[in-house]
Amino acid sequence: MTDLRFDKVSITYRSASARGDVPAVSDISLDLPTGATLGIAGESGSGKSTLIMSVLRLLPKSAKIDGQVSLGGKDVQDLSFGEIRAVRWAQASIVFQGALHSLNPVREVGGQIIEALEHHAKGTWTTPAKRRDRMFELLDEVDLDKSKAVAYPHEFSGGQKQRIMIAMALACEPDIIVADEPTTALDVIVQKQILVGLAKLVAERGISLLMISHDLAVLSAVCENLAIMRHGRLVEYGPSDRVCLDPEEDYTKQLAGAFPQIGDAESRMNPRTLKPAEVRRAQPYTMTDEVVLEAKNLNVSFDTRQGRERAVRDVNLALHKAEILAVVGQSGSGKTTLARSLLGLQEVDPGSQMEFAGKALPKKAKALRTFRRQVQMILQDPSGSLNPKRSVYEAVVEGLRVQKLTDNEYHRVIGALEAAELTPAADYLESIPQELSGGQRQRVVIAGALALDPQVLIADEPVASLDASVRGEILSLFLALKKNLGMSALIITHDLGLAWNIADTVAVMKQGEIVEYGDVDTVLANPQHTYTQELLAAVPRLGSQSLVTHE
Amino acid sequence: MSNSLPTTPSGSASESNAAEVNAAEVNASVIDGTKLVRERRLNNVKKNWSLFRSDIPAMVGAILLIFFILIAIFAPLIAPASMLDVTKQLDVPRYAPPSLDHPLGTDNLGRELWIRILWGARVSILVGVAATVMSMVIGTVMGLAAGHFSGLFGAVVMRIIDFFIVLPSLLLAIVLSSVLERGVFTIVVAIGITSWASTARIVRSQTLSVESRLYIERARILGAGHRHILFKHMLPAVMPLVLANTTLTVGSAIIAESTLSFLGLGDTSKESWGTILKNSMDISAATSGYWWYVLTPGIAILLVVLAFTMVGRAFEAIINPALRSR
Repeated sequence: MTDLRFDKVSITYRSASARGDVPAVSDISLDLPTGATLGIAGESGSGKSTLIMSVLRLLPKSAKIDGQVSLGGKDVQDLSFGEIRAVRWAQASIVFQGALHSLNPVREVGGQIIEALEHHAKGTWTTPAKRRDRMFELLDEVDLDKSKAVAYPHEFSGGQKQRIMIAMALACEPDIIVADEPTTALDVIVQKQILVGLAKLVAERGISLLMISHDLAVLSAVCENLAIMRHGRLVEYGPSDRVCLDPEEDYTKQLAGAFPQIGDAESRMNPRTLKPAEVRRAQPYTMTDEVVLEAKNLNVSFDTRQGRERAVRDVNLALHKAEILAVVGQSGSGKTTLARSLLGLQEVDPGSQMEFAGKALPKKAKALRTFRRQVQMILQDPSGSLNPKRSVYEAVVEGLRVQKLTDNEYHRVIGALEAAELTPAADYLESIPQELSGGQRQRVVIAGALALDPQVLIADEPVASLDASVRGEILSLFLALKKNLGMSALIITHDLGLAWNIADTVAVMKQGEIVEYGDVDTVLANPQHTYTQELLAAVPRLGSQSLVTHE
Repeated sequence: MSNSLPTTPSGSASESNAAEVNAAEVNASVIDGTKLVRERRLNNVKKNWSLFRSDIPAMVGAILLIFFILIAIFAPLIAPASMLDVTKQLDVPRYAPPSLDHPLGTDNLGRELWIRILWGARVSILVGVAATVMSMVIGTVMGLAAGHFSGLFGAVVMRIIDFFIVLPSLLLAIVLSSVLERGVFTIVVAIGITSWASTARIVRSQTLSVESRLYIERARILGAGHRHILFKHMLPAVMPLVLANTTLTVGSAIIAESTLSFLGLGDTSKESWGTILKNSMDISAATSGYWWYVLTPGIAILLVVLAFTMVGRAFEAIINPALRSR
């Protein structure tokens, strides 16, 4: 059996650019004895991926390692190329971040699992027939059907691809599995399946697990011990229950608070953040009875090879003035299609009715353009939503120019940026997107929508691609926009915690249908539909290794 | 910056009030906004220029190009047209090898080859550049149309592009230049019409990839129509590619012009490097030992094409940083 040990490890990236050498990890000592589980939490840029890549010596040449990374008592640095090859996969294997991109799209997945066996095969699987049997065994272990072996990656869902990656990691019966954000791109239900699967493997086979995530709740659901990293340093280390429920450091508290506990009254309508958005009105707007955007019997279907697929079925929704409505559901439940139809971007089936302020949604291009002054949408990924070559000013002014609102342009831009709390606005005008952080980019996108002075904001997973600490800032901005401007918002998310944080009402979607719709407090406190209950149960809770099955 | 900035965009009434009061100030700040954009672009140009300057092959290519363009422009001043008049060259030896008196040698009619190269540069470079511009304009428009418009229209445009790709372009150019009236313009059209298809393909693929970016979707949500998306997002995104492709295409256009002239399809009344090559072929210069007659125009073509390619590669590297340092 193999122990993994980091002894005063520092990793620096040498760089010829003006930034000079970049320290990524400094002075980390951690221990992972056989059969233990360790979670490393931290935000992007905290050096956690760099640290675990050093285990299998997968870092680029520009990385300089000080200190000792030892596997089973041997320093990884001292191993020859042949020896490190033998270690990779046979002793320790990695489940890479983003399974979606780690699989070869033009090869059958079965072949890709066999590839791992061919390269790192120990004496056990010497013949092709034996390797095939082993591959089927592995598929069985991760709960996939044998027939899937001949399928291509695009035929799998995100969760299934992640399971293929885990099967690959298990292929040569390693002693240590390193999982780099294994569930980040997945929704809660699939996330639960993957985590339970990992926890079961660890428990049954005595494998040690080193897992990285930005989500403390995910880590605490599986790992015994937790390490918190920030700026390459170890901030806190201890048993996961203690770190999560009784953190010593402020930073850990912030991380733990970023993902709210549903039912916790303190975080209701109060996303935790160090930089809350300002509420300027003496009497903030609250939800009214005036309906702004309404959908009745909304149906959307697509023609696919298997025939007609109904993405949205008989949806009835009403968005009131100054209401925040969260539409929650798994990926593929038709949430985004619903949002696109509400904007007139998606053709709907005959018989569907959509009304804005009592009038049917326009169909003609020109009328639609005017309509979009009133209803704006914010897309999932702020980095992708901004043209990389255009400055903040150009990005915000784009909507105004398209809508021919060209008078007073500069003031409108500054006003919108300040409403999106990107202050002082004038300092950011010349920046291009790559000079901004993820949260700042999202603010620019929001400012671009606000510049048109819309009544309704539709946001598609507005915080899914952001770090935990930024998440709170953006959510509190949505709340402030509602309170300051009386804006209505429809927020699409797979995260029930987000609904708990800011929404007035919540609609739960499953396979195109709304299965439960009502007040956040009522629905989340007392869910009626089994699917809502299932979703709620799948949300990982802080502490207590809730997903590990103890016999 | 003005002090009376509105704090929220919602107070439209107070905003318009402010606008009336501070009309002059607002005007000034409108210019501010566009000025910022202009300054940033200028800075980009400066940065790219310093990148270009540090690329030695590109600088060599650029100097070569400037040299050839200058001699083409000033040909009448350096060597008046009368020096090419056969009737005035009676006392000049024919087939004189390169020497101090005849730097690049003379041809079968006693004309100085260096003067012919000088005058030939005018047509060769003009045709090369004009044909390339034509091919780029057609290629960009067709590529953008095929990439941006989905459905029947896009499919039809794509089939037209495919048609021009499979067509043997030299054959088409030969047919065109023999059917149309003889002249420099005909050559430009013949080359331009036959060489745009590959550009269109490149532009289309880039258009397709940009089309799927979220910022295009965002522009649609903001209410943008085809015109805004095509001219504000697509065109700037494909332009660098087109520019890099331009410099690479000029080379092949110059070669195509030489080929057509060599085949006797050019404007025989005007000097061009292809015509010189054709003349040398007519009197079998290569086999008769008049090597300078063949090599001089050949090397001139080689140098200009090489220069354009080196400049083009540098452009490509500036646009696409992934190509750098490899």
